[in-house]
Amino acid sequence: MSVRAPAEPVIVGAEIAAGHDGSAELVVQLRHPNGAEEPVVLDAEKGLDLMQRCGAASLDDLAGRSWREILGGN
Amino acid sequence: MFDVLITNGRIVDGSGEPAFAGDVAIKGGRIAAVGRIEGEARETLDAGGRVVAPGFIDPHTHFDVQLLWDGAARPALEHGVTCVVPGNCSLSLAPLKAADRPAVVGMFQQIEEMPPEAFTQAFEWTWEDFAGYRRALEKSLSINVAPLVGHSVIRLWVMGAASQERASTPGEIAQMQDLLRECLEAGAVGLSTSFVDMDERGRPVPSRFAQFEELDALAAVLGEFGRMLQIVPEFYDTDLTIARIDQLAELSLKHGIPTTFSPVFDSSITPNNVPRTLARVEEQFARGARVWPQMQTRPIDISFSLLRPSLFFARWPRWVRILRQPVESRLQALRDPETVEKMVADLGPDGGEAMMGGLIVRGGDAAPAALVGRTLGDIARERGEVPALALINLSLENDLDIAFLAASRGHERTDRIGPMLAHPLVHIGASDGGAHIASFATYGDTGYLFSEFVRKSGALSLEQAVRKITAETADIWGLKDRGRLAPGQAADVVIFDPDTIARGEERPAFDMPGDGMRYVRDAAGIDTVLVNGHVAWRKGAYSDARAGVVCV
Repeated sequence: MSVRAPAEPVIVGAEIAAGHDGSAELVVQLRHPNGAEEPVVLDAEKGLDLMQRCGAASLDDLAGRSWREILGGN
Repeated sequence: MFDVLITNGRIVDGSGEPAFAGDVAIKGGRIAAVGRIEGEARETLDAGGRVVAPGFIDPHTHFDVQLLWDGAARPALEHGVTCVVPGNCSLSLAPLKAADRPAVVGMFQQIEEMPPEAFTQAFEWTWEDFAGYRRALEKSLSINVAPLVGHSVIRLWVMGAASQERASTPGEIAQMQDLLRECLEAGAVGLSTSFVDMDERGRPVPSRFAQFEELDALAAVLGEFGRMLQIVPEFYDTDLTIARIDQLAELSLKHGIPTTFSPVFDSSITPNNVPRTLARVEEQFARGARVWPQMQTRPIDISFSLLRPSLFFARWPRWVRILRQPVESRLQALRDPETVEKMVADLGPDGGEAMMGGLIVRGGDAAPAALVGRTLGDIARERGEVPALALINLSLENDLDIAFLAASRGHERTDRIGPMLAHPLVHIGASDGGAHIASFATYGDTGYLFSEFVRKSGALSLEQAVRKITAETADIWGLKDRGRLAPGQAADVVIFDPDTIARGEERPAFDMPGDGMRYVRDAAGIDTVLVNGHVAWRKGAYSDARAGVVCV
């Protein structure tokens, strides 16, 4: 019997936004298995880590990646 | 005989009622009469048909330190602000044991970006308790102050270093309650706490280690005085913000206190944030809770330098790779002609004119004053370079310590923000006055309210806008006898031209202790500001009046 991996949230988009202290932040849009979407805001360090981890040359390249990449790919 | 008679005014009294032509008489620091007034006065001020309104109240500032050497909280006062609320975001300068000062200075520097001299040379640190801080403040105030006490410093006083390590015990909570009660008796107008702020070492501030039981116990003390609880929620996440709104509502209902939270930002990237937040606020107000969302008027800018990697460069992977290198190798790459040629090429055939030409050169300690405030495109043309190359070369010429600003990149849609500000449950504030001073100017938000949302978009009438930042704010915070032009009220008055009031141009100023730099905005359209019946600022100059008080 095969065990199917549970469906997980995926990144469906990302954009740069202005943080309240004047820094640029990365707003990552997640889509849950039930179709609901929510934004997750990352500071510069975490946002750049995410892009590097995903080998993303542009923000569009983040689309389709697992939400686990935000946590460090675990 | 009156002390002051303001004649020929267009009275906007803070109530929201239509403006009317009239005079305002002042005696003993209070409004004596409003209307057509006959009588003698020691000093007569001809308003010349300008608006005469109650002084503005700024409910979210970090002037805690600056007020100790600058009792006017410059330039806030010249923008018509006659009362500021410092002590937000869980941080205040009292109660604070002498041994804990370095820890709290670090937290303040993280928020305010003030130079070390501001804490070591600009004032004499004479107090530990809140009453002592109040006495130190009251020595030379030109502006009124309604201070909050910070949850983080209360925690630090009771728990010491453990305040940033663990939850409190029942005994410690009881001590915090006693300490908060003492602060409220000494003139604090409420308690501030934060769920997001960090200290200078990147650790959560003490308030973030509190369990709900601790906050509930402190809110119970606020309830004894009917005082405000201010919080910074996880504003970057709408669901968490809504959860905090629900918590605040429970505390408000249980203890009979007003609560407020900030910031609340609108953004095209998260367009549902404010609508969802306000919907929950409406539900909680309908239950009888008081949970005031505090919203700023000004748009948000992005600023960055090449000292630290910024997401501004996220579109250009080569730039990110280079800027994330250690400083020495980063400098080496930026000095390598071949690498720089590729970096410039990444910006496209226009050399970055479209993406970078509009950037505004900012301070940074090393920035040449002649360049500050000009666009990168303009400077690049002068230098005979494309903007991307000019950005790199300017940075190298200034040890990377030169900043660039991308203006209005969030909370910038006037057509959306205007109706939000006009919403009856939205509390206009969150200026952060006195904070982030080396990054952007946090002054003149009230001028921007009139120029952008009254004159330009018409989202609010003149009378509505005045009420929002005077009587309504005084009522929300329980500031007695403030916010209205009516007999018996404190004579905090601003005379301004409704056709020209604005926030003024941002400019660098080197007026912080130790010649530290900050960004300020000079007032535009403000004629005169009176604090407790004394002229504090008139026609471009501050007076010697020191009539400000700690108002409760």
